[in-house]
Amino acid sequence: MLGYVLGRLLAAIPIFILVAIFIFSLVHLTPGDPAVLLAGDNANPQQVEKIRERLHLDEPLIVQFGIWAGNALQFDLGESIYSNKPVTQLIAQRIQPTFVLAAVTLFLTVAIAVPLGVIAAWRANGWIDRGIMAFAVLGFSVPVFVIAYLLVYFFAVSLRWFPVQGYKPLSNGLLTTLHSVTLPSIALALVFAALIARVTRAAMLEALSENFTRTARAKGLGTFRILVVHALKCAGIPVITVIGIGFATLVGGVVVTESVFNIPGIGRLTVDAITRRDYPVVQGVILFFSALLILINLLIDLSYALFDPRVKG
Amino acid sequence: MRRLKTIVLSAAIGAAMLAGTVSASAEEVLRLRLNGDINTLDPISTTNFTIRNAAYLMYDTLFALDSNYEVQPQMAEGYTLSDDGRVYTITLRDGLMFHDGSPVTGADVVASIERWGKVDGLGKILFSKLQSIEAPDDKTVVLTMNEPWGQVIPALGKISSNVPVIMPASLAANDPSEAVADPIGSGPYKLLPDEWVPGSIAVFEKFGDYVPRDEPADMAAGGKVAHFDRVELVYIPDTATAIDALIAGEIDWIEEVPADMLAFFEGADSAKPIAARQSGNSMQLVVNHLNPPFDDPKIRQALQWAVEQKPFLQAAYGNATDRYLECAAVFFCDTPYATDANTERVLNRDVDKAKALLEEAGYDGTPVVLMHVTDIPAHDAYYSVLKPMLEEAGFVVDAQPSDWATVATRRASKEPVADGGWNLFFTGWGFVDQSNPMTNVYVAGDCDNGWFGWACSEELQELRKQFAEAKDPEVKKALAEKMQILTHDLVSYVPLGQSFPSQGIATNLEGFIESPVPFFWEAQRTQ
Repeated sequence: MLGYVLGRLLAAIPIFILVAIFIFSLVHLTPGDPAVLLAGDNANPQQVEKIRERLHLDEPLIVQFGIWAGNALQFDLGESIYSNKPVTQLIAQRIQPTFVLAAVTLFLTVAIAVPLGVIAAWRANGWIDRGIMAFAVLGFSVPVFVIAYLLVYFFAVSLRWFPVQGYKPLSNGLLTTLHSVTLPSIALALVFAALIARVTRAAMLEALSENFTRTARAKGLGTFRILVVHALKCAGIPVITVIGIGFATLVGGVVVTESVFNIPGIGRLTVDAITRRDYPVVQGVILFFSALLILINLLIDLSYALFDPRVKG
Repeated sequence: MRRLKTIVLSAAIGAAMLAGTVSASAEEVLRLRLNGDINTLDPISTTNFTIRNAAYLMYDTLFALDSNYEVQPQMAEGYTLSDDGRVYTITLRDGLMFHDGSPVTGADVVASIERWGKVDGLGKILFSKLQSIEAPDDKTVVLTMNEPWGQVIPALGKISSNVPVIMPASLAANDPSEAVADPIGSGPYKLLPDEWVPGSIAVFEKFGDYVPRDEPADMAAGGKVAHFDRVELVYIPDTATAIDALIAGEIDWIEEVPADMLAFFEGADSAKPIAARQSGNSMQLVVNHLNPPFDDPKIRQALQWAVEQKPFLQAAYGNATDRYLECAAVFFCDTPYATDANTERVLNRDVDKAKALLEEAGYDGTPVVLMHVTDIPAHDAYYSVLKPMLEEAGFVVDAQPSDWATVATRRASKEPVADGGWNLFFTGWGFVDQSNPMTNVYVAGDCDNGWFGWACSEELQELRKQFAEAKDPEVKKALAEKMQILTHDLVSYVPLGQSFPSQGIATNLEGFIESPVPFFWEAQRTQ
C-alpha cells in the first residue's frame, strides 16, 4: 500500500511541472499590465515604468519564469504584486473560510442527498421518486447565486436569523463560525445535493436488482437493513467518487458563493487576483489547487478499499 | 416514528441555537463599504481614490479645503509670506503626534512634502519653482520659491490624489513608487495592522492622543473629532450583498449605490439612499489625437456633432433623473469656473453636420477602434449607445471588448491601431479634479507628456501657466473660459454629462460631512 501511495505521489511531479508552465504562460499572455493598475488612474508613464522595473516585469518572460519556478521549488511562491504580502501568507489567511464552507456544505450535502437517493431508489418510479428527482433537476438548473440571494432575502434581510455576509473565524467559537456559513453552505449544498442524489439513486437501483438483495429479502431482513447495510454499502463506490470529485470542485467553485456572501476565501482571492493581474497570486493559488486535487484523488482511491474488499489486494 | 421526532426536534433546536448567535452589534463601531479594496495605505504610491479616502482616516495634512473651497490651516498653526512673495514660513500647531508616539516635527513635514513632490502633478510644478524647503526647527517649515507663485498653499491643501499627507521622515525616505509597508500617520484614527486583511477588511481605532483643531469641522478643514472607537472598512465586492448588509444593519454606509439598485431601499426603515451632490462625477469619451482618423481636427469635431449626452445618461441612470445633469462645462456645472462658452457642438447632435465635416475632411472609412469595457456596467451601457450613434453619422466602428485591466494598459499605447493602439475609450473623473483648471487633465494641452489622448496645444499650456500665477478671481474666470473654448475646439475629449452617485446610509447615523471626498470624523450614531 505504501509503495502504491509513493508511486502516485511521484507521478504527480510531472503534472505539477506541466501545470506550472501552462499557468505561467496563460497568466503572462493575458493582456493587461499590473503596474498600470497599481499606479492608479492619473499616474504618468514614468511612475508606471518604475513600478514595472521594481516588479521585474521588464525582464524577458523566460527570466521571470526562472525566478518564479526556482523560488517555488523552495516553497516560496513570491509576493503579491497588489498587496506586497507573501502568497503563502495570503493562501494561509484564506484557507480556513473556504475549507469550513466546503466541509459544512459537504456535510449538509451528504445528509440531504444520500437519504433522498436511497428513498428514491426504494420507491423507484413512484411519486416520491418523481418528487425527489424533480427537486434534483431544479437544484441543478437554478444558478447558485439565485438561491443565494433568495436565502439572503428571506433568512437574513427579512427574518434576520443569519448574517447577510461575512465570515467569523473559528477563534470566535464553533457556533459563531457555523452561524456565519449556514446560508452560503445551504446555497451550495442544494446544488451539489441534486447531483449526489441522482448518482445515489442510480447506484442503489443497480444494487437493489442484484441477487444478494433478493436473497436478503428472502431470508426476511427488514427494509432499513437491506437498504442501508447491504445495498448502500455496495452502491458506495460511485457515490464516494462523485462526493470526492465534487469536494474538489467545491473548493474551486465556491467563487460565486464567496462573492455573494462576502466570504474572504480562496475562490475570491483567485478572482480578485485575476482581475488585478496579480501574477504571483494566480500562479500560487492554481499550484495549490493542483496539489489539492491530486491529494483528493489519491484519498478517493484509497477509500475504495473500505467499500470493496477486492481493492485491498 | 419516535426516532424521526427526535431527529426533527434536534434539528430545530440546532437551528434555533445557530440563529440565536447573532453577534451583538457594538455601537461604537462604524462599518463602511468603500468602492474598492485597501491593498495599501500609502496615498503617495497610488492615485487610487479608495486609498485616498481610507488614508484620510489615519493621516493629517498641513492645510485643508473648507466647504467654500478656501484653503485653511490644518496641522499648520498658520503661515507668513515674505514681502517679495517668495518665502513661506509655516508654523506647526502644538500637540501633533504620530501613531507610534513620536512628535511630528518640521523634518517629517519636509520629507513628506518632498516625497509627494516627486509624484503629484501639482507637486512637481511646485518643486520646479522651488528654491529650497527646510525645517530650521521642530515647529517650522520654510519654503523659498524662485519667484512668486500663487499655488503654493492651494497645492499643499489639495484635497484629492495625491494628497500631501504627513508621515514620519523615516517612512517618507522610501521610493514614492513603492508603497510603505507599515504606514504610520498622525490623523484621528490609527491603523490596526494585525487586523488588516487585503481583499477583506482594514480596521482603525480612535487615536487617543489626536488633538483636533478648535474650529468646527468644515469639509477637510476644522476640528476632526472622532466619535467612534473603531472604524472598519469592509470590502464587499458584490453591491447587492452590500445593500442587503446595510439594510440588515451589518454595515453603516456604502460609497456608491448604482441607480438600478435604488429600489432595494423601498420599504426599508433602517437605511436610505442619499444623493451625494458634492461627489459628482463626469463621464468622458477620450479621443486619441495621434491615430487616424482623429488626428484630423475636422473629424474630431464631426465626432462632437455625432453624439449627444442624454441617451448615455439614460442608459446609465434610467429614471433617476435627479442623479444626472447634461453638462458640457469643462470644469463641471455649478462651479466657479462653469461656463457655456463654445458648447454648441458638444450639447447638440446633428448627424448632417457630422457627415458634412467627415466629407470635407475626406474620411476614408478608417475603422474607429473603440475599447469596449465589459466588466464595468456603466461603461458597458455607454458603449451600446455610442456605437449606433457613430455609425449613423458615417463612422466605421470596430468595437473591441475586453476587461478594464486590459483597457487601462492599452490606453497608454501611442502606437498605430494596427500595433495595439486605439482611437476611443470611456473614462470618468471626479468633481474635485475636474473643477480645478490646475488638475483637469483635458485642459493641459501637454502633447506627448499629457494624459492619454495626448491633445496638444501650446496656447492651452500658456493659459494654464497664466492661471497658476493669477490672483484676481475675475482674471482666473476669464482664463478658465478661454481654456474651455480652446479645449472644445481641440476636442481633447467629448463630455458625456455629469452624475451624482447615491450613497447608502444607515438611518441611525448623522453628522456625515458633505464633501467630494467622504470624511468620517463627526459621524455619530443617534440611537
